[in-house]
Formats: sequence, C-alpha cells, structure tokens
Amino acid sequence: MANGNAKETEADLEFLYDDSDAYAHEISELYTYSEEAEFQFNKDSFAKLLKSRELDSWAGASQENRTALVMHIVQTLDVLDKNERFEAVRWTLYLVQGAFGECKTAEEQRLNCRENCFLLYKLGIFSIVQELLMMEINSTPPVVVPTNKKTNLLSLSDSLELRSLMIIIYTMVETLRRENEDDSNENVKLRKEFYTELEQGLNDKEPLVITLFNMVCKFSSQTTSILPMKKVLLLLWKLLLTLLGGYSSLHNKMEERRKELDLPLLEENPLKIIREMRASVPPTSAADLLDISQAGKRRGRKVRILFLNLKESLNEKPQPYRSILYDLGEDNSSDNMNNKEKSNEPLRREQQAPDISDLPHVKVVSGLPWTPKARKKDVELFLNQVRQKFIGFSLPGDLTTVAGLPKTTKDSLKILRKHTYVPMSDLQIAKEVEMTKCPLTIGKQEVISTGVTERLYQAMLPHIPQYMIALLKILLAAAPTSKAKNDSINILADVLPQEMLSTVVASLRLGIDVNRHREIIVKSISGMLLLLLKHFKLNHVYQFEYMSQHLVFANCIPLVLKFFNQNIVAYVTTKNMIPSLEFPACVIGEKSEITAETFDGVDSNSVPCWRNLFSSINLLRILNKLVKWKHSRTMMLVVFKSAPILKRALKVRQAMFQLYVLKLLKVQTKYLGRAWRKSNMKTMSAIYQKVRHRLHDDWAFGNDVDAQPWDFQQEECALRNNVERFNVRRYGKGASALTNSTNIPTTTDEYTPVENNLQNLLKEEVELPVEFRKSYDVWLEREVYYSNTDWDQLLTIPCVQ
Amino acid sequence: MVSSGSAMDPEQVVRRNPPGTKAEDFYKWSPQSFDEMDSTLAVQQYIQQTIRQDFTDTETILTAPPGQDEGVWKYEQLRQFCLELNGLAIKLQAECTPMTCSQMTATEQWIFLCAAHKTPKECPAIDYTRHTLDGAACLLNSNKYFPSRVSIKDSSVAKLGSVCRRVYRIFSHAYYHHRHIFD
Repeated sequence: MANGNAKETEADLEFLYDDSDAYAHEISELYTYSEEAEFQFNKDSFAKLLKSRELDSWAGASQENRTALVMHIVQTLDVLDKNERFEAVRWTLYLVQGAFGECKTAEEQRLNCRENCFLLYKLGIFSIVQELLMMEINSTPPVVVPTNKKTNLLSLSDSLELRSLMIIIYTMVETLRRENEDDSNENVKLRKEFYTELEQGLNDKEPLVITLFNMVCKFSSQTTSILPMKKVLLLLWKLLLTLLGGYSSLHNKMEERRKELDLPLLEENPLKIIREMRASVPPTSAADLLDISQAGKRRGRKVRILFLNLKESLNEKPQPYRSILYDLGEDNSSDNMNNKEKSNEPLRREQQAPDISDLPHVKVVSGLPWTPKARKKDVELFLNQVRQKFIGFSLPGDLTTVAGLPKTTKDSLKILRKHTYVPMSDLQIAKEVEMTKCPLTIGKQEVISTGVTERLYQAMLPHIPQYMIALLKILLAAAPTSKAKNDSINILADVLPQEMLSTVVASLRLGIDVNRHREIIVKSISGMLLLLLKHFKLNHVYQFEYMSQHLVFANCIPLVLKFFNQNIVAYVTTKNMIPSLEFPACVIGEKSEITAETFDGVDSNSVPCWRNLFSSINLLRILNKLVKWKHSRTMMLVVFKSAPILKRALKVRQAMFQLYVLKLLKVQTKYLGRAWRKSNMKTMSAIYQKVRHRLHDDWAFGNDVDAQPWDFQQEECALRNNVERFNVRRYGKGASALTNSTNIPTTTDEYTPVENNLQNLLKEEVELPVEFRKSYDVWLEREVYYSNTDWDQLLTIPCVQ
Repeated sequence: MVSSGSAMDPEQVVRRNPPGTKAEDFYKWSPQSFDEMDSTLAVQQYIQQTIRQDFTDTETILTAPPGQDEGVWKYEQLRQFCLELNGLAIKLQAECTPMTCSQMTATEQWIFLCAAHKTPKECPAIDYTRHTLDGAACLLNSNKYFPSRVSIKDSSVAKLGSVCRRVYRIFSHAYYHHRHIFD
C-alpha cells in the first residue's frame, strides 16, 4: 500500500493502535527512573535468602527447592514484624522482576518473569499480597510527615511499601493476562483460574477495582497523599482491561448481541478499516492554496482500501455497495437527494481492479472506506417531507406506505432503507420507555445479566460521579499544558527522589522522568475511560449515558480541548525516554554512563511516542462519544472555539488520529459559517473522504441551523431524568447519586406493606417533640382534664349511625 | 447398631447413633467399603470410618480411594481436620489466654498475623485460633466458593492451601508453647 505520490517529504507515523503497548514497554513504564536504586536492594536481599538456604542461584534451583523457597516467603509474609515482612516483599519483588541478577539478556529476564509469576500465583502469593495491600492502605496515617526533612516535599521513600506491593500485583496481572503460545497446559489452566479469581472478586463487598478507585478519590481530595498514583492508575486500567476484555473481544460481543436481538450485523470491523487507512496531508496554509499546480498531484493520491474478505466470496458484500454508487450516479433527476451527492461524481473515480480470479481473497475497491448509514429518524423525516410535498399530509409513525410517491422517491427510500442501521441503543431506549409506561408488568420482566460489565457497573454505581471527578482532576494535573499550582494535587510524589540533585545531568534526567511520569498517567486514565465507556455502552446505553453525563458535568470537554491546545505534533513525537534507564535494561548488562549526550536522542519523526499517540487518540474518541448526537454538547464544542484547535491537530500524520479529529469537525461544520467552510475546503474534502457518511445528513451546508439554545438544556435534563429513572428502577433508591432523587417515585413505594399489627405499633418508640415534653402537663390540663366533649351528642349524629 | 427382627432384609445395618447411646457404644457398626456407600456424603463417611479404624495410620487415612476426585478429597480431609481441631482448641482455651500468649507465635522467631479479618490484624494466640477456625469453617461452608460437595472448582482448590497453612500454625503454637495439651 505504498503512497502513490513519491514527492511526499514526510511519511505517515508508524503506529498500531491496540488495547495497550507491547509487554516490554508496559512493564518498563511501571518504574520511574528514580526507582533504579531499589532494584539493587531487592537483589541483595534475595542473595541473603539464597545463602541462608544454601542455594546457589534461583536459576539453578530445582523445582522442589523453588517451591520450598516460595513457601518460606509465603510464611514470612504473614509475620507480625514489619521489617521481616518487608524483606519477604523484597524477595517477591526480585522474583517478579525475573531474578534479573542472573539474566544476561532482556529476553531471559522476560521468560524468567513469566515462569516466576506462574509459580507465585500457583502458590497463592497474589491473594496474600492483595491482603497486605489492604492493610497498608488502611494503616497510612491521615497526615503524612514527609521523610525528606530538608525540603518537606513528599518523595519516593514515603511510599515504598505501597509501591512495592503494587509492583508485585501489577507485574503479575500484566504477565498473566497475556496469552503466550508456549504456555504449558498447567499454565493455561492457571491463567483461567486467575481470570476466574479476578471475576469472582467482583462479588466481594469491596472488590480490588473498587478499592483502587477509592484510592484515586482519596488521592484527589487531599493535597498531601503518599499514594503512588501512577501505579494505582496503571493497575486499575489493566485490571479493567483483563476483566472486561479488549477492543476485539468487545467487537465480538457486539456481534453476538446483535445476533441475539436479530439485528443485521455491521459488516465492517472498524478497527481493521482504520488500520488500512492512510493519513491525509495536513491542511495547507493560505499561501499554499494559491499554488494550484499542487492540486493535480494531490488528486493522484487516492485513498485505496484493500478489503481482505476472508469470509465472503467475491460475489458478495462489496458488489451491492458499488452498485449503489452507480445508482447514485444515474439518479440525476432526484430532487430529494442532497446536492452534494451529485457533485460527488467528479471526485469519485472508479478504479476498478479487474477481477483477479487467481487471488480470490483480495479485492481493491476505491472510493469511500465506510458504508453509509442512516438512522430510522432520518427515514421518518424524509418520508414526512416527501409526503407533505407530494401528497399533502403525513402519516406519523408509518414507515412503509409509499403509495402516491414518484418512482425516484421510492428509489431513494430503498437506498435509505438499505443503509438503515439500527443500533442496539435504540432498542434499549425503546424498551426503557415501555417499562416506564408499564412498570408493573413489563418492568418486572427485566432480566439483568450477571456478566462482568453489569457487576462492575453495580459495584461502581454509588460513586461514579466522584470517580469521574477524581480521574479528571488527575488528568488535568498531568496534562502537558497545565501549570503546577501550589494547591493542586501532587502527582509527582512517586517520582521525586529523596535526595536533592546536584548535577545538571541529574536534573535533566529528572525532567525527562517527570514528563514521562505524566505521560504514563495520561495514558492510563484515557485508556481506562474509553474502555469503560465502550463496555458500558454495549451493556446498556443508559449506563454509558450516566457515566458520560458525569464526565461532561466535570468539564471533560474543555479539558480535552485544553489538552489539544498545544503543539500536538511535538507531543506525539516527543521522546521522553532514556533507553538505558528503562527496566530491565538498567539492571542487565553493562551500566552505561549517563551523560549529556544521551539526551540527544534519535529524533526521527516517523516513529511516534506510542503512549502519547495512544492517549491522544483515546481522548479524541472519548470526546466523540460524549458529543455524538447531542446538540447541547456539540454547541459546547463550538462555543469553546474548538475548530482552530482541531484544525491544528490535523497536522499529525496518522490516519486514525485524523479520522477522529475530522469526525469532531464534521459535527460542528454547520455551525461554523460559510466563510470557514469556504476557506477550509481541504478539510471538508478530507471529512468527505474519511468519515462515514450519514445519508440525509446536511453537515456541509448549514441550511437548517436548528440551534435553539433553550432546547439544549431541556435535552440534557430529559436525558438526566431518563438515566435516573433507569438507575432507580434497576438498582433501587440507594443507587441514585443526585440530590433530587426523591422526585422519582418507584412503583413499589405505594405497594410496600404497612405495619398493621396493633401490638407492634404500640411497642414502637415515638419521639415526641421537645416543647411537648417540657410542657405536656399543661397540655394535659387543657386538653384532657378540662375539655368536655359531649360524647352522646357526637354519637347521635345521623351519619355516624 | 444392628437392628434385629427384620424379616425382609436381615443384612440391613443402620449406621446411626440413636438417642440414648452411651459414649462407649458410639459408632459400633461394621465398616463399609467405599464403593458401597451411596450417599452424597460418602467421602466424609469414609474418612471418618478410616480414622475410627486406626487413627494413627495416617497413610491409609490420607490415601484417596481410586477414582476419587482429588479436589473433593482434599476438601473433605480439611473439613474433618477442622472438625477435630475444635477439640484441641477447647483444651487450649483453658490455658492459652491473651495474658499468657499475647501474640501468635510458633517458635520464638515466627510471629504471625491473623488473616481472618478484612485487613490482617495482630491477634493473641487464642484469638488467632478461634478466628482461623471460624474463618476456615465459613470458607468451607460458603456457597460462593464451595457450592457443592461432590465437585469443586479449581479456583477454589487454591484456597484450601492457604487455609491449611494457617490452621497448621495452631498446631505448631500448641506444640511449642502448650506441649502437654498437645500430647
């Protein structure tokens, strides 16, 4: 798939979007450079252990000896004395770090690490370390006195125990969650057990995930906290990834669900399509626009897509799609089509590859990468419009009657229907409406799944607002464009070394370390948020809406825009990394001297910083998810003047990144004004080429600007009420976190049985008001002794007979 | 107790201690081979029977009958063990108080935390014993991890190991600090 135009001076950034980075990078990102010294302590401690057991080395020890050694560690981890326990933690650390002292290459260390992790898991270390972690969290004093008395800053040494425990758990999670073909049968079984253990942990009163979330909240509400936030966030992200599954499993789940609901499958795998897309050249400045001769060359560089149709034969899916393009071409007389569809023809060039029958699995189709979609609402609107025009009255709710409409209209209706995509969320929302109308019949029939996502949501539900706020606070503090304020939370507590640095080299190193630290925090938060949003959306759209509302209320939209309001190209290609200090390179092999020269790293612009590009794409996707189909939030984008920011972001030469930027621009274009559209024709064409078309969507012309500001608030409120109702109905009154929750009555309120037993009622304690208790004798005099009621007269009243 | 006078099935043996049986008359029925036992609690029955036959012959007690699921065997053994350990705990109660043993020690170097709480806590020895036995009983009876007594999930088998380890410490404490009770 070489770029047709050889005159391009810059190549696209090489980047493969995935659930997470490669294993080696993930492990090395766990450690900061300042923690380098601790590796040696672990090694020495373990050497002492080996000596006391008269063993020469871990690698040389037999399986029984190894097991015996680990059992000894297990015993020691249960001991009362803190120091002894910490020694055992160090031994465990050394083992999960792959006994690096005995390794000659990084590959050996990785193999060792994997083997050790399996052994440790088999002998139960994981649960013990978890318990110790709980103990450590609960025993941290509320007011932390920093150990560094000179500067009074929190530094690495304050969080030593917590960090060590987190390293063990994280390494085990990261190693065991990844599959490896070389795993023995026993290891495969152990991996399954590991997953079951994590999943069953969700049923506990306080699952590990919730503990970590609570740590995040605690951290963000205090200015002095020694919780090692980067490790907490990384672990939380990986746990969620293991429990819920990555993006490909998400796609499979979605297809299964659609099959269950009898909905037609989406024939594309979005991730695959995106992978094959090529980036477009960044929008040129005004000066370049005058250079018309460029235009000819640019047209040659078309978007080519290779559909590797492994499942379907040559004669299936792509054909109808192409024939539709032909239909559009012929249908010049249709008034009802958008004007832009007609103007598509010159741009579209049917470079039909001849049917290569000897290569049955490869088909080259040029044109647009995505099949267009239409919503049911669009079909309805179109029908109404057309019926009003030709017949004079509309049939609301009727989507099938086509009597009396001209043939061309019927054809366009056919096309619309062919591309109608019914998302599962529509069905879920419709079901919710039904259940609200008939709560006692349909509402009771609801079957709440016991899948992992559902259980996770139930566990998180009471505190989702706080979690979102906490995560966004930390994201703000870690964003590259934020200035450190004195009262904001201190995320650098686990990066600063204890002694202050003297040399220039050391402070340069610390600078890089700090930046790297922040980038990793951003990466884990963005990964986590996107994962949760996607999984919740699949599970039930209102769960997704609940989480996204709280994100929006916590100002996620301006935060993400602020994040992109920087030199984004520099951000994604920055190299905050010193290869020789990364783990395990820093402990294996020769220790090389860090001088000023090591900081002039390789500055090749085609190899991006994986984590930064990953975080940026995630943030863009999150923003897209928050804003999609919501007028109020789209207007927020316009109000915050996101268009120039997003345009600048298009300079990044990466297809997936550009796709999501273009999507964000697409939803705004109709509000941006004709002048903007005129001067940004390149961007408009890029949107046309890259982003999926919505049939009957007037995004490019702004003809029908239905921007009524007062409607937006109504929309949000209505959505909020729906979500509240959903949560209260499914999870009970305690689940709602909004203060005005008592406004939503549950049907069961009226039907709960009331206490009727006189004896029980008389036994109940009734709290009498204070004034009454003080002056009850006066009341007694007045009301009881001196009041005379003529009871006979009362009883002879006719109605009381 | 062999019920006599049953004309229909003279071989019927009822293996129960009916109310009123004296302590020395307990369990006086003939042993049954494992294959003949057809109740759901066959394993427990079998283990208890083997112990009664000869409680010093640990090899036989611990040998699973052929074809028996290993997880279930371990579970039942542990269960029986905890049942009988209660007797030791009662005897220890008299002597081992928070005053005499304020920490759970095995030998002089090993002092242990009680893991039966949400976060591990430092408990005196007798409390450790009680908590651990209670915790073990809760775990073994819990529906979450051991919903059935005839098949055990692999992930639950791993829990048995840690229970064993903690329960064993009761033994070692008794051995080192309350020797005469141990004997």
